Amino acid sequence: MSDLDAKIRGVIEDQGRLRVTMSSLSDTADLYQNGLSSHASVNVMLGLEDAFDIEFPDAMLKKDTFRSVSAIRGALQSLGVEFS
Amino acid sequence: MTTVTGIDVQSIEEVAASLVKFGDRYRRRLFTNRELDECGDRAEITARELATRFAAKEAVLKILNPSDVIPSWRSIEIQRSGRRFEVVLTAGAAVLARRRGIDEFLLSTSYGGGFAMATVTAETAPFADEVLS
Repeated sequence: MSDLDAKIRGVIEDQGRLRVTMSSLSDTADLYQNGLSSHASVNVMLGLEDAFDIEFPDAMLKKDTFRSVSAIRGALQSLGVEFS
Repeated sequence: MTTVTGIDVQSIEEVAASLVKFGDRYRRRLFTNRELDECGDRAEITARELATRFAAKEAVLKILNPSDVIPSWRSIEIQRSGRRFEVVLTAGAAVLARRRGIDEFLLSTSYGGGFAMATVTAETAPFADEVLS
């Protein structure tokens, strides 16, 4: 796992209020099925903006953007965050 | 016409925690200036009132049922009108409502036990008769 992936997981762990720990979830696990609410997804979004110094445009504010670690990684890459 | 209902519940404590953690960025991302003005600046009341409005926005979204991009939360404004609330839509939310043939929402809210709740009812055009969750 890269440092950036660990950073994504840390934000979800802190802000996502999931029913399970992030260590038990794969990168493709559906976060909504594991307890991520709409309100918590706002906190995850704001936490990611802080952690990666980016801002999500309104056009990216859809459920699929925050559905999984993989989906979030893809969204961050599209905003210019580079993953090794 | 088909009557549709959206319902949502929101923890007041979670909103209070978000206000502490993210402050103005949280407020500005979700709420309009009018909503923020109406909710005041007394922490406990503000969190309860914002939780009520967030639940109302989510209940409206369940009726609008966006298939892809979610309209900005700010495009669903919950306005206080005397003892009642009114739903006023702009931008993407207004477009979705027009597509569904909705021109009025009836909103009822409540709170207690640390949670705010909102129920929204609307009538849609005949083509939009799917069951909403």
